Amino acid sequence: MSANRTLRGKAAVVGIGSTPYRKRGTSEYSALELILQATLAACADAGVDPRQVDGFASYANDRTEGLVVGGSLGVREIRWSTMVWGGGGGGVAAAVNAAAAAVATGQAECVLVYRGITEADDGRGSYGKGHFPPLLTAHGAVAPAQICALRTQRMLEVDGVPPSAMEALVMASYQHAQQNPGAIAYGSPLDRERYADARWVSEPLRLYDCSRENDAASAVLVVSAERARECASPPAYVLSGVQGSGPNWTESLENEEHYTSAGFHPDMVARLWDSAAVKADDVDVVQVYENFSGPAVASLIDFGLCPPGAAAGEFMTVANLLAPDGKFPVNTAGGNIAEGFVHGIGLVVEAVRQIRGSSSNQVVGADVSLLIGGPMAPLVSATVFGSEATL
Amino acid sequence: MPETVAEGVPSDLVDFVKEHSRATVAGNNRQVLDDFRPDRIGQLIKSAKLPPNLVSSQLLHIAPDSDGLIAAVTCYTAADGTETLLRARWIKIAKGWVVNDVRNLPDTPPPMADTGPAEDGRDTPYWEGLRDNELRMQQCDDCANWIWPPRPICPRCHSFASTWTSVALTGTVFSWMRTWLPFAPEFSGHLPFVTILVELPHAGGRRLLGVLLDADGVDPKIGQGVHGEIEAAPSPGGWPMLRWRLT
Repeated sequence: MSANRTLRGKAAVVGIGSTPYRKRGTSEYSALELILQATLAACADAGVDPRQVDGFASYANDRTEGLVVGGSLGVREIRWSTMVWGGGGGGVAAAVNAAAAAVATGQAECVLVYRGITEADDGRGSYGKGHFPPLLTAHGAVAPAQICALRTQRMLEVDGVPPSAMEALVMASYQHAQQNPGAIAYGSPLDRERYADARWVSEPLRLYDCSRENDAASAVLVVSAERARECASPPAYVLSGVQGSGPNWTESLENEEHYTSAGFHPDMVARLWDSAAVKADDVDVVQVYENFSGPAVASLIDFGLCPPGAAAGEFMTVANLLAPDGKFPVNTAGGNIAEGFVHGIGLVVEAVRQIRGSSSNQVVGADVSLLIGGPMAPLVSATVFGSEATL
Repeated sequence: MPETVAEGVPSDLVDFVKEHSRATVAGNNRQVLDDFRPDRIGQLIKSAKLPPNLVSSQLLHIAPDSDGLIAAVTCYTAADGTETLLRARWIKIAKGWVVNDVRNLPDTPPPMADTGPAEDGRDTPYWEGLRDNELRMQQCDDCANWIWPPRPICPRCHSFASTWTSVALTGTVFSWMRTWLPFAPEFSGHLPFVTILVELPHAGGRRLLGVLLDADGVDPKIGQGVHGEIEAAPSPGGWPMLRWRLT
């Protein structure tokens, strides 16, 4: 792939901002107010006047339109607006990639990527809206947890991935959250007994295999590489990004080919590594979207970061997944499961923190930080971030 | 009628279970909730369903399950004579005996409100087919591809011409799940229930979701054969439902 056709090093995240995570339905602020708080924090972090934001990108049908955010900020001009199709958290990295594409090609200068949810504004289960027609609901399948349970069951029973792989991911997330005062699970450690003894949600998923629902928002600011060097915080460069779905995959009512895949088909993964000019082995730290533990394991398998089948159990151990010393630290802020859930936007923030060296569970010398968007969604996406040293 | 108490059931538990049932009949909610395992009270309340105006309860049998929990089946009688069977499974934790899980017997599928054609109407022939006691699925007239879920065009050859073809009600379990959380109000009284994804060899291997009948305590195996049966509409104007049984 010719270098001028890739995103590598042409754009960077220079600002990150998050509101505190609240239990669902308890925010005193509206989703728009939370998004504005996160946006102002991201702009302050970058040292950028919020009026200079000239583009907006989000995903999963965020109910707060970018133009409304722009109007509230009193921006001078709007040059870019993207809503990623495909619903679900699958679009989270795609929104970052869209922002990067905008600034890399000069179509905008400073694009905000955001997601904000409150139960008061979005309703319960907002993340699944529009994806449950009567051919599912009539049979009592009304929630993403159930669909992901079906897919996880086949991954366990046919592919032979041991349940311990899921457990390790959850335990590592909770251990990371104990160092992150902003995490919902901060101060609530999880032991193996409580994990195994928790109530079933939808077999084979128990309570702690499932992400939370929170009221909160996060925002990140994406600018061109040239502009990034003038900003107040160290840039996390976009080395590459992918989005999409493979053949016979999307919107198929459980008729997807490669049913136990998370949706990251081999061509997509190869494109991610090739255009970033990195290999799976070069990845220092991963934020993998875990709507549920099983699909997150499937994602790591899709990317070749974890071996498929029974061998996944040998690789997916708590020791391997923990920062700073594990071979392969994942979800270092606690992730959707233990930090908080706003459709995965918090994972973007943490992926950037790792490049900056400011994570509460910092991987020493992390230069390549991988963000994997929502697995098993109709559209999935990923972004590789790199430090200055990777350019 | 005296209850059946199996070997291995602690004698203090039998009295405790009966007292719990009496409290349930008396509407002593505080005591009933106190008997629930503390980390899942909300889930337990919504799992089982009892009619109002209960007048009596009778323990039918109590026995240890293979996982060590003690299962007690109690018959509750309402003022109008309606009898409802609940099976509560008890576990001993630090605070004493508590209900770990509870369900109505027999196990029946949740009667969902959201049945029938989708807003776009593309699946209407499927639902109309069930009214004729048939499973019908969309098949391309030009290349015979099975188009599922229904679409306006064949994704393989782009023909707009298709026919809804009758499909034999046999298949295999492609995957399955057992739902425990009361995600929808209709689930109450029907939890847990098993939903399977059925692979249909007579429809090009296309897959359909459906509730597995008689699945209480059964873990289906992927690849197992299943046979479909069409359950009559719950009311005139309602829609029949395709259910499945292991063969």
